[in-house]
Amino acid sequence: MSGHDSKYFSTTKKGEIPELKEELNSQYKDRRKDAVKKVIAAMTVGKDVSSLFTDVVNCMQTENLELKKLVYLYLINYAKSQPDLAILAVNTFVKDSQDPNPLIRALAVRTMGCIRVDKITEYLCDPLQRCLKDDDPYVRKTAAICVAKLYDINAELVEDRGFLETLKDMISDSNPMVVANAVAALAEIQENSTRLIFEITSNTLSKLLTALNECNEWGQVFILDALSRYRAADAREAENIVERVTPRLQHANCAVVLSAVKMILQQMELITSTDVVRNLCKKMAPPLVTLLSSEPEIQYVALRNINLIVQKRPTILAHEIKVFFCKYNDPIYVKMEKLEIMIKLASDRNIDQVLLEFKEYATEVDVDFVRKAVRAIGRCAIKLERAAERCISVLLELIKLKVNYVVQEAIIVIKDIFRRYPNTYESIIATLCESLDNLDEPEAKASMIWIIGEYAERIDNADELLESFLESFPEEPALVQLQLLTATVKLFLKKPTEGPQQMIQVVLNNATVETDNPDLRDRAYIYWRLLSTDPEAAKDIVLAEKPVISDDSNQLDASLLDELLANIATLSSVFHKPPEAFVTRAKPSAPRPDDDDFPDGGEPTAYSESLSQGSDRASAAPPPSSSGAPQPPAPAAVPDLLGDLIGLDNALVPVDQPAAAPRPSLPILLPSSNGQGLQISAQLTRRDGQVFYSLLFENSSLAALDGFMIQFNKNTFGLAAAGPLQVPSLQPGSSATTLLPMVLFQNVLPGPPSSLLQVAVKNNQQPVWYFNDKIPLQALLMEDGKMERQSFLETWKSLPDANEVAKELPSAVLQSVDGTVERLAAANVFFVAKRKNGNKDVLYLSAKVPPSVIFLVELTAAAGVPGVKCAVKTPNPEMSLLFFEAMEALLK
Amino acid sequence: MISQFFVLSQRGDNIVFRDYRGEIQKGSAEIFFRKVKFWKGEESEEAPPIFNLDGVNYIHVKVAGLLFVATTGINVSPSLVLELLQRIARVIKDYLGVLNEDSLRKNFVLVYELLDEVIDFGYPQTTSTELLKSYVFNEPLVIDAARLPALGPAAMFMQGAKKMPGTAVTKSVIAIEPGGRKREEIFVDVIEKISVTFSSSGYILTSEIDGTIQMKSYLTGNPEIRLALNEDLSIGRNGSSIYGYSSSTGGGMVILDDCNFHESVQLDSFEVDRKLTLIPSDGEFPVMNYRMTQEFKPPFRINALIQEAGALKAEVILKVRADFPSNITANTIMVQMPLPSYTTRVSFELEPGTVGNTTDFKEGTKRLEWGLKKIVGGSEHTLRAKLTFNQESHGNIMREAGPVNMTFTIPMYNASRLQVRYLEIAKKSKTYNPYRWVRYVTQANSYVARL
Repeated sequence: MSGHDSKYFSTTKKGEIPELKEELNSQYKDRRKDAVKKVIAAMTVGKDVSSLFTDVVNCMQTENLELKKLVYLYLINYAKSQPDLAILAVNTFVKDSQDPNPLIRALAVRTMGCIRVDKITEYLCDPLQRCLKDDDPYVRKTAAICVAKLYDINAELVEDRGFLETLKDMISDSNPMVVANAVAALAEIQENSTRLIFEITSNTLSKLLTALNECNEWGQVFILDALSRYRAADAREAENIVERVTPRLQHANCAVVLSAVKMILQQMELITSTDVVRNLCKKMAPPLVTLLSSEPEIQYVALRNINLIVQKRPTILAHEIKVFFCKYNDPIYVKMEKLEIMIKLASDRNIDQVLLEFKEYATEVDVDFVRKAVRAIGRCAIKLERAAERCISVLLELIKLKVNYVVQEAIIVIKDIFRRYPNTYESIIATLCESLDNLDEPEAKASMIWIIGEYAERIDNADELLESFLESFPEEPALVQLQLLTATVKLFLKKPTEGPQQMIQVVLNNATVETDNPDLRDRAYIYWRLLSTDPEAAKDIVLAEKPVISDDSNQLDASLLDELLANIATLSSVFHKPPEAFVTRAKPSAPRPDDDDFPDGGEPTAYSESLSQGSDRASAAPPPSSSGAPQPPAPAAVPDLLGDLIGLDNALVPVDQPAAAPRPSLPILLPSSNGQGLQISAQLTRRDGQVFYSLLFENSSLAALDGFMIQFNKNTFGLAAAGPLQVPSLQPGSSATTLLPMVLFQNVLPGPPSSLLQVAVKNNQQPVWYFNDKIPLQALLMEDGKMERQSFLETWKSLPDANEVAKELPSAVLQSVDGTVERLAAANVFFVAKRKNGNKDVLYLSAKVPPSVIFLVELTAAAGVPGVKCAVKTPNPEMSLLFFEAMEALLK
Repeated sequence: MISQFFVLSQRGDNIVFRDYRGEIQKGSAEIFFRKVKFWKGEESEEAPPIFNLDGVNYIHVKVAGLLFVATTGINVSPSLVLELLQRIARVIKDYLGVLNEDSLRKNFVLVYELLDEVIDFGYPQTTSTELLKSYVFNEPLVIDAARLPALGPAAMFMQGAKKMPGTAVTKSVIAIEPGGRKREEIFVDVIEKISVTFSSSGYILTSEIDGTIQMKSYLTGNPEIRLALNEDLSIGRNGSSIYGYSSSTGGGMVILDDCNFHESVQLDSFEVDRKLTLIPSDGEFPVMNYRMTQEFKPPFRINALIQEAGALKAEVILKVRADFPSNITANTIMVQMPLPSYTTRVSFELEPGTVGNTTDFKEGTKRLEWGLKKIVGGSEHTLRAKLTFNQESHGNIMREAGPVNMTFTIPMYNASRLQVRYLEIAKKSKTYNPYRWVRYVTQANSYVARL
């Protein structure tokens, strides 16, 4: 056993530290080395050996590299806790950095960079400067990384000493390893800086693409990842880049392959030739599939990425569905991901094969996997209309197995299928009812109850079935109670006989008097009032036709998907979250406007939740033509609030609940420093054809604030509050959001148009606060601004040329024509026509500004290139400046 | 880049711990282990290889019963980290000969020295055993490996077949043999993992081969090597006919769907003559990985039958037929079949005169297990099992049992027919004639027959 390092772990006699101390100061080299090993061993198991600092550092001056490395390892660990003693090592470091042996030179700078002690850092600069220009590439590559280390400790020092410039020069180094490390260091520094430091010009690009072929696998990843920030100037350059990167797809290292895929996907966005794109997809498919032959851990990463890629480019793996079939020995986390992708790739052509697989999975042992397989069958039914019937028959087959959790899961998905294909498959309800007694999971129970209520008129004993649930009403979870309430109301409206009448009494009583749940109570009261005031109206509302749900297997929203695709081959693409959501090291960057609401990666539950949200909000929403009903008073007219009220599943959020996530997108208009602790953020927005002032109040003062009121000064559009400001008393440390409905043309400020909006807010405790806001014209654009081509042309001709104004919008960008058209339409700028002018797209659009000012718009831009030319023709050209601002904001 | 790297034993002991950036709190190893051990996710009870906990991203792989873990706070490339962890394991194994808790503890100084060269400030620098030799000075202390299970795909050469030298698997590429000069030899292993799914009627639903040509060289002076593969090897399926692999020409042509190569491989003439040229570095590495879905003859046919035999009884008949030449023998065969959950007792009946078979009914998982030491090509084996139930089946017995899953190893056999035609070593002198071992082995990956 002698000679084994493990003996160093076994010295646990008392007096260990003094004993080590003595050995460290031994006159024999070997004993000293052994002693240092023992110290390191103690250190790694977590013992505190910092008291030996001086003795260990004394062993540093040695020619023996093995010993030197051990001492350095010790130093890195303890220097921080003994900064004064660490200075003792500086001389040796500096000396070592000039040693004739390049290994020692490199070791010295590498270690110094790891010692995060200010005093040492000062001494690091000179050796680092020398080592960056060392003759030996091993020293240079170590020094390159050391710049990143130093930047992390003291960014200013790095900039003052010009190390950044040296690093940039190193991109042209003759040694590929040095280039790779320089790129890695620059990329990291850029990541932590707001300034543009590491700009990738076409010159750097070509240098790096050349280095790419010579680097080792890790260097290739550094370079590919750094280059993925590069935006090619045109399709031709993009094609060139792709051509240089494509050979990387043949690399045995999965990281190289995925980084290459990322790069190619990004450049593909610019490539216009469909042939080239198709060809690239063809080239990428086999390597992507090959990733699934690696270790299961890598398969997992590959599958999460493929999930994103097929959402954007479904054709790429359309023929490869078989490779996603689960293997017997796949870990469960791989199986789950494969299932997800199988759903995404399922088509009319392969559905029989896919169903056969799902059916097989649904009888496996792992309960979670089985559930997901059952759900997958339902999702395919919803996605593929022509296969729905086959999917349902598989589900029925599974129900017949009478395995409890399979049955419950099947009922949940069948409920969704009913929502997708109403009045089509009701014949199976009888079979479902057989399993009624075995349902014990809330979601399954709620689904079954929904089905009974929805089809009460076709189920002979619907009343008996529901009644059986009513006995346990008080004990049921909220989800089931809400469904029972709605289903009983539906039953009553469909079969207003004595039985249901009694049932409704019981339910309403239970749901109003006996419950603590405000959602339940409020929903019950609404039904109660509806039924007692106007049963016919109740029928119209509750039994209204519901919108058909759609397939959500492409569940990510388009902008999140684009962001994730830009982050392929990073953790972001594994978590399916944007980097800001989980990266801790704060990167100074602008806040994202919409990151508060992305689906949690993994389980797509969107439409299973629709059970409550979709179905009943829809069933309760008043039909648009119910003209007879008197309009409710102003504050309640806020559609959002109304939605909540009627949906009733979202608690009627009191305004002072922070749960109503303060929207980060609201600009701060009155900072708390100016408002004695009161901070106000606000913005004009448009919802459902009405203008609202969206406000966030945050009280960081020491007193409660109440009695809020708001007033607007005269402004160009005569914007004024349509009702009183609804803000409750604000306790210290709390916040409140509110949507204030606005009206137009109340107090119009004459003169040239201006976007200035002066606001005054007061409360009972503080002085009146005044602040300025800007009126974004995009919030005022009207829904009826769409014009037909013909009338657009006529109007254009009828307006004098003097009414035409044009402006360059430098920061606006036209990513894709379709996307832009969609985005603009959402903001009430409507597409009329388009044409191509060389490589540029020209779009014609129309918009209408209140009271009724027509804007005819012509946008000229090359897709993906910043800078859009915007020309407008309008009867009121004074307004065009505001209009340009709005367009620039919309096209950002 | 990565912030910390550590290796934990199965019990959660910290064997190696290295912090590269000092950004993440020290207790991360313990937090990680507790999370993984008691994982309870939304979807499954096994921790995925990557997860985020309180702002720290944990990335891990399991190698040889050990957990190799990296932590980071930033949005790194996860495949880079996973590859790196695998590669660190391989480098350590190259150095130590054997990778396990014991060898790591005995060589911890060497391991730290390696880790310092492999990663700097969280950035991987090199994972080539060859290159590392010039920077790493500690000598490995090789532990007695004779009885230890080895790591990696080549480990299967350790099993059974005596004619194959298994030493390559557990020999350090660094340590000098006790006898003085090390032996000049090179191992080329063609390792194929096959996945086949048979439908209930015995028709092949999916089949796939994942192959690796693995090399481990102990040649001094790193001579150039040429590997010649089948001349008619074709890469890339044309006219993707996924539904039924009917397009294969049936003859001798081997068609790979895709392949990739180690970076040391020169592919200059590969397109023309299917020869790979490389200068093998020390250590074990895959020269080429390939994937094939071309139709091939599955080595085993499985025939499984389950029939009700009275109210609370059923009978299972399992037949396995070896569809390969009789001069080839498969070993360590295991046939498993999940039985209905209400099965209480199973009695087995083997053919008269069989030896080396084991049969078992696992109460906990309700699984039938049939082990066979070896199967000679061309032979057929049958197992009958009588099941007793504690409740009546609902006539769904076929759905509640199965599928049958089989694992096996077949040395000197490869399903793809990919061949190393010859292995040429650039000669230094006339007398230079190192040992060359070209070995083939086929293993089951997911070999399943549905009922």
